Amino acid sequence: MGMLGWVMMGLAIWHFTIFLPDRFWGGIVGAFVGSLFGAIIVGLIIYGAKVGALKVPGQKATDIAVVLYAVPGALLGIAAVYFEGMRREHHAR
Amino acid sequence: MNDRRRNIFVLLLVAGLFAASIAVIALMPTKLGLDLKGGVQLVYQARPTAQSKVDPESLERSIDIMRKRVDQLGVAQPEIQRSGAQEIDVDLPDVSNAQRAEAEVGKTAQLYFYDWEPNVIGPTGKPAGATEPTVTGGAAAGTSEAGLPQYQAVLRAAKRPAILRKTATTLEPGCTPQQEKGCIYGSWYLIDTAHEKMLCSGGKPICQPQETEQDLYADGYKPPAGSKPKAVRVNPGTILLQARPVESPKTGKVTQQSPNSFYVLNDEPVLTGADITNPQQGFDEGGGGSGAPNVNFGFTSHGKQVFQRVTKEIAHRGQEAQLPGVSKEAAQQHFAVALDGQLITAPSIDYTQYPEGIDATQGSQISGGFTITSAQALADELQSGALPIRLELISNSQVSATLGKTALHQGLVAGLIGFAVVCMFLLLFYRVLGMIAVGGLIIYGAYFFALIKLIPITLTLPGIAGLILTIGIAADANIVIFERVKEEIRGGRSIVSGIATGYTRGFAAIVDANVVTFMTAFILFALATAEVKGFAFMLGIGTMLTLFTAVLATRAALGTMGRTRLMSHSWALGAGKPKREWTFDFMGASKWFFSLSGTILLIGALAIGGKGLNFGIDFKSGTRIQTAFVRPVTSAEVSAVMSAEGYPTAQVQKYSSKGVGGSGYQISTEKLKPTAVHEVKSALDTKFGGGPNSPGTRDFSSTSIGPTFGQTIANSAVIAIIASLLVISAYIALRFEWKYAIPVLIALMHDLLITSGIYALTGREVTSATVAALLTILGYSLYDTIIVFDRVRENVPRMPRAAFSQIVNRSMSEVLTRSLATSFCTLLPVLALLLFGGSTLKDFAFALMVGIASGAYSSIFIASPVLTHWKEREGGYRQRRARIVRELGAVPAYATAIGGAPVDVEPERKKRRSRRGLAEEPGEQISRDEFRELVQDLDVDGVAQGGKRAPTSVAQSAGAPGAPNGDGDGAPASKRAPTRDPAADLTPEDLVLKQAPKPREKRSRRPRNKRHGRSR
Repeated sequence: MGMLGWVMMGLAIWHFTIFLPDRFWGGIVGAFVGSLFGAIIVGLIIYGAKVGALKVPGQKATDIAVVLYAVPGALLGIAAVYFEGMRREHHAR
Repeated sequence: MNDRRRNIFVLLLVAGLFAASIAVIALMPTKLGLDLKGGVQLVYQARPTAQSKVDPESLERSIDIMRKRVDQLGVAQPEIQRSGAQEIDVDLPDVSNAQRAEAEVGKTAQLYFYDWEPNVIGPTGKPAGATEPTVTGGAAAGTSEAGLPQYQAVLRAAKRPAILRKTATTLEPGCTPQQEKGCIYGSWYLIDTAHEKMLCSGGKPICQPQETEQDLYADGYKPPAGSKPKAVRVNPGTILLQARPVESPKTGKVTQQSPNSFYVLNDEPVLTGADITNPQQGFDEGGGGSGAPNVNFGFTSHGKQVFQRVTKEIAHRGQEAQLPGVSKEAAQQHFAVALDGQLITAPSIDYTQYPEGIDATQGSQISGGFTITSAQALADELQSGALPIRLELISNSQVSATLGKTALHQGLVAGLIGFAVVCMFLLLFYRVLGMIAVGGLIIYGAYFFALIKLIPITLTLPGIAGLILTIGIAADANIVIFERVKEEIRGGRSIVSGIATGYTRGFAAIVDANVVTFMTAFILFALATAEVKGFAFMLGIGTMLTLFTAVLATRAALGTMGRTRLMSHSWALGAGKPKREWTFDFMGASKWFFSLSGTILLIGALAIGGKGLNFGIDFKSGTRIQTAFVRPVTSAEVSAVMSAEGYPTAQVQKYSSKGVGGSGYQISTEKLKPTAVHEVKSALDTKFGGGPNSPGTRDFSSTSIGPTFGQTIANSAVIAIIASLLVISAYIALRFEWKYAIPVLIALMHDLLITSGIYALTGREVTSATVAALLTILGYSLYDTIIVFDRVRENVPRMPRAAFSQIVNRSMSEVLTRSLATSFCTLLPVLALLLFGGSTLKDFAFALMVGIASGAYSSIFIASPVLTHWKEREGGYRQRRARIVRELGAVPAYATAIGGAPVDVEPERKKRRSRRGLAEEPGEQISRDEFRELVQDLDVDGVAQGGKRAPTSVAQSAGAPGAPNGDGDGAPASKRAPTRDPAADLTPEDLVLKQAPKPREKRSRRPRNKRHGRSR
């Protein structure tokens, strides 16, 4: 259930990248991948740090706070893809 | 064969098949599923044993054995089939006693023969041997007096190291003591070291072994306070056998079936149930026989050899043990027979009578403690054969016949209403074309129903849902083609030419969309569980049938009618008025639609966290009883009965449906075994009935789901989703371009997650039907996306100078009406399901409705913008965009040229070889628009109009600065006369010859030799 929440949060945040200039590495699809991977990985790390084991929260363990763990990850993932895109653009020039 | 003849042939074929279908429908019976006619459904999950693994062969053998057992029950038309990788689905129509059915069908009856003394384990953890009668039981071998309490037996068995034999299933690759890959590695027990007793739910003194440590705490089991629980694993190669049932010494009758007395054995049986033949109940009538009931049987040739060899070894050991001072009884060695983990008998082998072993050609017998009934039951079990694998009952349902009939009635009503509204929509929207589509739908319905009876397909509620959905899909195919036909006629083609071209150009989109839906249905059918299978099968057959009826049959009908008076006016086809052009900037507005989707998903994610999904018993495990009462009762009275039966936490809710009327109740509780369900029914009958012959309940139905059932559904769904996505991606990449596949996947993900979010928000119960519907969304939401992408694919070569966003905007404006009409048309029957279907159908319908609406939305506002953003990063499109911005200052929403004419060029089509002697294909004739475009491309209109050449520059006018809108005259742009960008694509002007054609060379006046090349 936690994984479902994180993926939804990642996908939700990715939708707003359309307001940013398209400098993502791999374009809007790169941003999608960054957002989803970031959401899942950081979600796992934060939850893992909380419970002391790297595992996906189940139905009972998933609450709003757990779903929100995905937010920083999604933002970091999008930022990483964006800066990598800018770096590559700079190199190309 | 010319077109007319071909059409007539197709129509005759369709008419012949229709007549045959009507005959089949009238003469053949419909095979109804249990949910529609009542009965008992048992779902088993196969588990490996120490000797046998779960594979297709063992599953098939189990099914054969179960079929024999069901035949012994006397059930008419039972259905036993594999469902998924490890499940067996047993449907027993018209059976009302789930308890007996379960007892008979799924009994493992695993029979093993052991050489007793060398295998009984002593306190040191090693075989005790013949010299320790305190361990083996000596003359009392196998009885409860000589065994250990289970607690002690488990501790003794746990000392043994793992012994992996050649036949052991633990030798599977990846099978480790950590059970990393879910293998069965030994067995687990939970013991209380503080009180030296076993721990398991119900506080029973004897506990069943579990496959994993986690299973010890299944169903939320918590050890009692004050206990010191310890999980203990007995390694593979060691087994605990329960002692024989305790018999009264006087009467010989069983006084205790399950004594707390166990032996620890080296698990190395010499023979199994597969080695015996022809077991029959008999009586011990030999010399000195007691006359008690027993079971006689023979051996297979292998069994005979092994039996004689082993009994000879036992006799020899007995002889060796016959030392001075040792009685013959004490020296005799034993041969033990165990059935399903309990010893049945452990007879001694008389070495004086059988020094060379027992000749098994006359067979053997199992005796001791049998009544005629129990001996007969064992003989029956052995007759049908021992199941090679262990079967765990993970779900059992009992549906009353009345409720089944009600469900069928509701399904049929919903289907008919859905069909009627789709027909009305088609007639209103497409007039004469609609009539033909309705005819196609009627033919489709007749064919489909005939196929259901012919194959035969068992009609279930999910199957009805699939059937109703395919009505929408069949109508969709017509809509896609009719819109195309209307477009061609409005473009200036004649009716006949428009029909032919419409079908030809619409066909690719229909094939792509239907193939993808069919592939999803196929994957669902191959991977999903039983309930989903019926749905997938219907969807798959319906999708294929659609191609025949909605494309081939209607084309032949239209082709034949095309020259009639009925079709002579374009208004008859709904193409009279000019098409309303969509001028909306879809790509420009996509930011706001993305924001909308993002917000919905955000709310959905928070709802998942806050409220979670409301999983039904399919996923949570438990029992649901639905029943009506013959007299009015209150929920408090029902709760009181449940508490008295030992289920104080049972939830009792008022439940009403057409079948049960207003006095129905739904009782939800922990998972009950069929015996317990039977006890609850009896208690309710007694409490609310009017006597022994007047039960208090009517239309009693129950469903019990085990904890692994939901996991099985979820696992198969995940595998089905991944497999579908891979196959769909591969297909789209092949048919379109790989870049088209990614937006499709993103849109699918969007649809599935939005549907999940809405389920979390509304708190609707998630059942196995919901999973089936979610998987269907996967196939169907692609339908719309493919329709849009098909037009984008078509427009890309037509618009060689336009930005990709302009191509997509143009494509959307062309297909939006079509997309809205198809989605609306599919939603109509789904809405009928939601309003008029029973509870199961409503579950389907809700998920489908959300999914279809989301699918239509995402194909326009998610998939297409993602594709646009991604494609516009490509070098060619980036240069086009840069050029347009350079010329116009910004990229207008739509690309048009001076005078409002489109900037299209007719792409090169594959030329069909013209057939000698036939007129040109109607679809190959040029339309008025195309002619005008051609004239414009050749730049001869100016010459034709005034003798002066008009400027030939192409401008992007709509919405651009200096070029007010797409319909403007484009004068400012034309004045600019932009310089040629060398990186840009070819323009239409490039296609025109730059120089005047050279005058034809004058040929010599020499007269042609008419006889040239001919023989003299």
